[in-house]
Amino acid sequence: MTNQPDPASSAPLTSASAAVDASEQGGLSKKGLSAGSVGLIGAIVIGISCIAPAYTLTAALGPTVSEVGVQVPAIILVGFIPMLLVALGYRELNKRMPDSGTSFTWATRAFGPWVGWMAGWGLVAATILVLSNLAGIAVDFLFLLIAQVSGNPGIADLALNPFINIAVCLLFMLGATWVSYRDMQTTQKLQYWLVGFQILVLVTFSVAALIETANGNAFDATPIELSWFNPFAVESFSAFAAGLSLSIFIFWGWDVTLTMNEETRGSDKTPGRAATITVVTIVVLYLLISVSLIAFAGVGTGEYGLGNPDIQDNVFFHLAGPILGPLAVLVSLAVLTSSASSLQSTFVSPARTLLAMGHYGAMPEKFASVSPRFFTPGYATIVSAIVASVFYTVMRLLSENVLWDTITALGMMICFYYGITAFACVWFFRKVWFRSVRNVVYTLLAPLIGGVILGVLFFTTLIDSMDPDYGSGSSVGGVGLVFVLGMVVLLGGVVVMLWQWRKRPAFFRGETLSRAVASE
Amino acid sequence: MNAGAPGASAASAASGASGADAALPRIVVGYTANESGADALALATRLATASEAQLDVVMVLPSEARSSTVPSDVGYERHLKARSREWLTEASSKLDAEVAQSLHVRYAESFAEGLIAAAHEFGASLIVVGAARGGILGRSRIGSVANELLHSSDVPVALAPSGSRELAASVGVSRITAALGTRPGAGVLLDAAVRLTKAMRAPLRLLSLVPIDLPAGMDEGLAELTSEAHADEVLVAAKRALPAGVETTAEVATGDTIEAAVRSLDWHEGEIVLVASSRLATPSHLFLGSTASKMLRELPVPMIVVPRSNGPRANGSRTTGKAAS
Repeated sequence: MTNQPDPASSAPLTSASAAVDASEQGGLSKKGLSAGSVGLIGAIVIGISCIAPAYTLTAALGPTVSEVGVQVPAIILVGFIPMLLVALGYRELNKRMPDSGTSFTWATRAFGPWVGWMAGWGLVAATILVLSNLAGIAVDFLFLLIAQVSGNPGIADLALNPFINIAVCLLFMLGATWVSYRDMQTTQKLQYWLVGFQILVLVTFSVAALIETANGNAFDATPIELSWFNPFAVESFSAFAAGLSLSIFIFWGWDVTLTMNEETRGSDKTPGRAATITVVTIVVLYLLISVSLIAFAGVGTGEYGLGNPDIQDNVFFHLAGPILGPLAVLVSLAVLTSSASSLQSTFVSPARTLLAMGHYGAMPEKFASVSPRFFTPGYATIVSAIVASVFYTVMRLLSENVLWDTITALGMMICFYYGITAFACVWFFRKVWFRSVRNVVYTLLAPLIGGVILGVLFFTTLIDSMDPDYGSGSSVGGVGLVFVLGMVVLLGGVVVMLWQWRKRPAFFRGETLSRAVASE
Repeated sequence: MNAGAPGASAASAASGASGADAALPRIVVGYTANESGADALALATRLATASEAQLDVVMVLPSEARSSTVPSDVGYERHLKARSREWLTEASSKLDAEVAQSLHVRYAESFAEGLIAAAHEFGASLIVVGAARGGILGRSRIGSVANELLHSSDVPVALAPSGSRELAASVGVSRITAALGTRPGAGVLLDAAVRLTKAMRAPLRLLSLVPIDLPAGMDEGLAELTSEAHADEVLVAAKRALPAGVETTAEVATGDTIEAAVRSLDWHEGEIVLVASSRLATPSHLFLGSTASKMLRELPVPMIVVPRSNGPRANGSRTTGKAAS
């Protein structure tokens, strides 16, 4: 962590290693960290594999259709705006205070320990929610894949059995933990192939859907209209907000390309270029798929209609067969590989934040431990995995539609911690807003507008989700499950925070991580 | 931020004076903050004490370039580096102050690659790593790092068996055993052995292992006789090749297998074993042969694997392109 005096600074380091260490002062030197660092293509590939478009869309398309109907393309376009605005602020903070705690550290610096702690909690909760959802989707597609390969469709239904489902999901989680703990990396080449395959399959899937529609074989052929791209055509603000909070989820993870090491091989322009190419690829893919699937299946509630609650939590799972026939197996493979590689990159996020929280004394010190062999935040990784597993198990037993509800709750959590991060950026840079036009845009306007949008989305979703019919329609005691979930997660965070405050008052007195403001 | 430079140059100067012509002027230790790293550090300290060499304790961190799925994070990388420096400082504070030492953090795509690059950078003549990583039930197992090193290093590699950390540096090196193959071509090994025995003032034991692993039906007695005779010849030839003034003993170890032959020998507490890398190795690179692998599994003492021919060390940079300096 850079925000503390370095305890090891008195180490008898040689001039050789002193050269490495000296590079820490201002940014990273070419020699220090990034000898042979990730290049442009590498950065794009990592970005796409983090977003995992195949996984994201299969999980989010159905719920989004249920909120906004045919206006999904519009929502996808609009949803990118707050994400971009916040990511710009995120990048400023990352430049100024690079720290593995990201939102936690930044919010603590800007707003003090209490807000910072909750931002960290929100980030960890969001990533744990998505971990369980990822693993859940992977289980569905694993069984589908086996069914397709063996030619026995009954096998796909095994995923519906909660006990088999939970058992396999926990195995997935175990595998992902193992891979993350040991920091096992696929070779770059394999990763290129996997991402390339994913994109190719998604394009094939969309094109096939369009061709089937043109040939009159569509389930519910719906003529494509320009109004699909008009966000104002969404019937209510509630639906609009709910759709937006889902579309924030589909772009989540994109920011990594923007904040990846500035020393990415080539020039300073590489990260920006990588981020742009990544997001253009993703947006085009999303639009293509959403338009083609709506054209093919419509938004009705028929067997394959995107409005059918029975298929909404995992639309590719149900539509791959009717559209691609025997080639449907490719879709299963693409979603499986995309969830698998996304599982690994997603694991890193809560683990690193928990590590920072442990490091600054906001959580037990054990969380700060780094595996001496694999250089990963080992303890934090394992705790995240256990919590995600328990969470999935409980949700699978409680909810009628676990995947759907976790995705909706996830959108809410992302709005929560991203919103705080955006405001942290605005507040942290308050003394330098007007030093330059650049500052006005990147440290004031962009994060402020982004933060306000996310804040509005958060509260709208929170209030709407109290309705027991919200989302998948699961409810606990007459209140929507998504609301209960969000409240349990947030209030649980408050309880844990108070407990940590009793046990570790130093952090909450600002002794380990003090408030600060950018003054230059 | 760090005031390391003055102390460090003093340390290098101290070693530079005594280590210019010694067999082990500098020793690179591949350190990790676990038992395996402690084993490596303890063995290296013992070797450095015995030969008055300088220790370069190196921690190799994964470079960003190996990451293909996980986005890099500057904050986390800094944290790792700070943590590694703490680890190095802790390890260093436990070391005997008499031993000249310097601490380094390096980045490479793999631990082995980083160590080889560091060895080239410092002109080190030996890399020490822990051999056993999580060996089961006390048995030595070559970890993936040691394995990679043994298959790619052009610098001799010492493998510290699990438990090396319990042996005090003051034990020194009591004897050096050079394990000769049954085939000729042990020149490099003998050279290294002679250099080591001089540097460490230890006696030399020449060893020939004779496994009798024959198809059933063969006359075992006869086989044993011929193999032993052959082994004796190798030893005699080797002895003749040694320069005068080296205190040398010779021994032939027999057994049904290599493992049994190794078990039948006596080992001193502070002994080290020297083997040459396999004939399969590319010239001047290491490759652990099957015999040496089998030996390693049974050896209670550290093993040093020597490349078959000492190629020019100066152009070592050809393999180090990716490491940070």
